[in-house]
Amino acid sequence: MLASSVQRSKPTPRPSQARNALIRRTVVVVLVLLALTLVTISFRSPTAGALHDMQGAGSTVLRPFQVAATRVAQPFRDAYDYVDSLANARAENKKLKRQNADLRTSALIAAAKLAKYPDYKKLLQLEQGQTFPADFRAINVGVISFPSGPFTHTLTIARGSTSGIRKSSPVVSGGGLVGIVSNVFPHTAIVTLINAPNNFVAARDLHTRVRGGIEPSPAGGGTLILSEVAKQQRVEEGDAIVTDGTHNARYRDLYPYGIPIGRVSSVGVTDTATFLQVQVQPFANLGSLDAVGVLVPKKQNR
Amino acid sequence: MTLVDGVKAAALLFVAAIAQVSVFSQLHVFGAVPDVLLVSLVAIALLRGSIAGAVGGFLAGLVVDTATLGTMGLTSLVLTVSGYWIGRYGETTGRDRAHAPFLSIAVVTVLYEVGLLVVHFVLGESAPAGAVVRSLVPAIVLNLIFTAPLYALVRRLLRSGEREELTAEVQLLG
Repeated sequence: MLASSVQRSKPTPRPSQARNALIRRTVVVVLVLLALTLVTISFRSPTAGALHDMQGAGSTVLRPFQVAATRVAQPFRDAYDYVDSLANARAENKKLKRQNADLRTSALIAAAKLAKYPDYKKLLQLEQGQTFPADFRAINVGVISFPSGPFTHTLTIARGSTSGIRKSSPVVSGGGLVGIVSNVFPHTAIVTLINAPNNFVAARDLHTRVRGGIEPSPAGGGTLILSEVAKQQRVEEGDAIVTDGTHNARYRDLYPYGIPIGRVSSVGVTDTATFLQVQVQPFANLGSLDAVGVLVPKKQNR
Repeated sequence: MTLVDGVKAAALLFVAAIAQVSVFSQLHVFGAVPDVLLVSLVAIALLRGSIAGAVGGFLAGLVVDTATLGTMGLTSLVLTVSGYWIGRYGETTGRDRAHAPFLSIAVVTVLYEVGLLVVHFVLGESAPAGAVVRSLVPAIVLNLIFTAPLYALVRRLLRSGEREELTAEVQLLG
């Protein structure tokens, strides 16, 4: 019984419904046609005609109402404008602060780049100078970390193996020899300075042609010594010391010939010592390097 | 719809039209303008049917076009159709549903904006479709904000007529 469907009787339309629908449709059609007529007339003669005059008169009639509405709304509009301008001022303030921070950052970056400019300029001069080894090219690179104390003799440069830098590549600055690449990563490399302990660079006096080895001074202080120079040989104060380059085809020197190292600051001799005590002041300011050049051979098979 | 209701609705639409062209048309929020006239018309159409909506839309459009010295009949055309459609929705399904005013406003805002765009385009006037599309969502939101208070106001204003109308529809059986 409950499952059986019950046929609901079809609702009989009220007699007024059909009439209402007709009236409704008639009204809307008439209004739409009237609107279209008004649009057509207004569009065809926008500056003259009866409709234009009526519109002008209507506008004149409506004007006081519009003025009244505007005046009534004026305090609210003022309040809105005040809040809006306040919000805009805050937004503008925030925007200007952001711009200021960006400009400050840009200025700092520019200043940092400018600070490295002299080093790059010296590097360029070195690269274009006659003492620059002909078989090498320089990869100029910024220094991103410096020796952090007296016991650290390395610095980090901002390029690595992806730029062609290899381990044991000589590193120079505009002044002269800085050190050697001791470790390479894809985008950075570690440079061991020439004043690091156990470092040895074959060198020669450019003036007297005397050979020796550059080592860190036992006294420290960033000075170097030219070791293994026999007493009978002549080294004079003020002589320029440069890398000696290789003279052995089997054991190639890591440093090509002619890279400036430093200048002889003092020459001493004692009766008991076998060698001269030659102190060398490095040309490169190893304490404040902003940019260095890594020397890589032009021929890759070297 | 009684004569008193008609007068009240006409007065309401007149005030809404004047407020729209004088005050609210300058209230730009995210590129959109709240349309209190449209909201008022929708409320009247929902409560009083399609004829009231169509006639109200036509007259309100005339006021707007006259006050703004725009193309006569243009706003009337779009508001007439909008008022009629919403009135039919109210007569058929929507009148007693709580969400009807909000749904009507959301739909009619889109139809109204697109309708105006089409009419302007057909007349060869400036019809920036991109700007209209971009301002649609803010316009819907703004109109929805005004929907609840204006619908309540219109309902309160036309309450006496509503009672009479409801009473008139009761049929005696047997």
